Amino acid sequence: MAYNVPNSRMSVYSASSVSLNSPPPSSTNVSRFSLAGTPVTPVNTSTTALSTTANNKTRAAIYDRNLNKTRTAQVSLSAYAFLFSEIVQYTQKRVSGIGDLERRLNTIGYRVGTRVTELLAWRIESSSKVPKREIRLLPALVYIHTQVWKAVFGKPADAIEKSVEKDDEYMIIDNDPPITRHISIPRDMAQLSCSALTAGIVEAVLDGLGFPARVTAHSVPTDTFPQRTTILIKLDPSVIEREDALK
Amino acid sequence: MSHHLFLLSPTDTPLYMLTHLSTRSAGSSALPLSSNLPNWSTSAFAGTVAALSGASATGALVSGKTTPAVIGGGQDRHVVQMIANASLDAIEETVRINSGMYLRAADKFNEWTVSAFITPGNMKFVLLHDAKGDDSVKNFFLEVWELYVKTAMNPFYTAHTAIRSSVFDARVRGSAKKYL
Repeated sequence: MAYNVPNSRMSVYSASSVSLNSPPPSSTNVSRFSLAGTPVTPVNTSTTALSTTANNKTRAAIYDRNLNKTRTAQVSLSAYAFLFSEIVQYTQKRVSGIGDLERRLNTIGYRVGTRVTELLAWRIESSSKVPKREIRLLPALVYIHTQVWKAVFGKPADAIEKSVEKDDEYMIIDNDPPITRHISIPRDMAQLSCSALTAGIVEAVLDGLGFPARVTAHSVPTDTFPQRTTILIKLDPSVIEREDALK
Repeated sequence: MSHHLFLLSPTDTPLYMLTHLSTRSAGSSALPLSSNLPNWSTSAFAGTVAALSGASATGALVSGKTTPAVIGGGQDRHVVQMIANASLDAIEETVRINSGMYLRAADKFNEWTVSAFITPGNMKFVLLHDAKGDDSVKNFFLEVWELYVKTAMNPFYTAHTAIRSSVFDARVRGSAKKYL
């Protein structure tokens, strides 16, 4: 049984962001082991046709760079806020409503999340003798709450809660999410939460670990924390079944 | 000795594959596998059946015919791919209960051993090899993982599409030479 990975959503941006040299392969009807778009030649003799000298120079750089975080590799909040504000403005021009806007922010977050999940695990696990993944739900949620939050926002989230009414709903709560600190939502868009980006990141990390879920963001302001945001995780039924089986 | 590496996306689409012939042969110039794998001179389907029914039985049949070229790199490629595919079921079963990323000897098929490495993003690296799986395979996987993470960090690379970078290819070959 393969996990239900939302492959369709990945293809949403394949048209725009696939590398300049190659057309996007149609991921829908590709059978196992037939690489779409590549001529079937013996692997050990084939050379990919991408190697112009100019390309080689720039390409070599990413494989030579160190993946570990250095002290100077931090991004200032102002740069981050500026970039995010541009993302929101850009997206807002191209959508028809709040739901659509949140969905798009979520998709952008998903792209960030797929990278975060690999990179973070590599930094933590690659030096260990027996690299591990999280296979239980609760440790995975705690991992998101602390490790992922620290890596992305520089501080752990404030709480994890389990829904009282529903078994398959969990919430990660941040009292003051840094990315929305400088955003004030207009009155007529009160439903909007720009933390949809964060929700996308969480969704990608859960997907990668094999816990498919639908993740949304909601702002629940309190008097002390006007920016308080809840990331609501609604798990796929298969996750609950699997958790029960592992008990 | 030959090794076959496959990188599979979470939806089991192959993103990259590599056939590596090790010079570090354990035995002699006569490859232990080449004598066991059938020749494909007649029909591909008949050959597949022969391979499935047990490689040793077919060894005598084909020994008189033309010498097979590169194992897994030529016409018998689809058998290698099929063995790797068949092991995915076994791998996916262990993935749910085993929290290790490196699954040593996750599956066996005749004299082939299948080892796998599962990344946190649910990418599957599958290696078919005929030697005993040990630390060198794990170290090889770790290097491939690092290269994959670097590929994935590239904003111009769309997640879960075929990896066509020639540098990636060269680096993976380099680590294969180093460890396998």
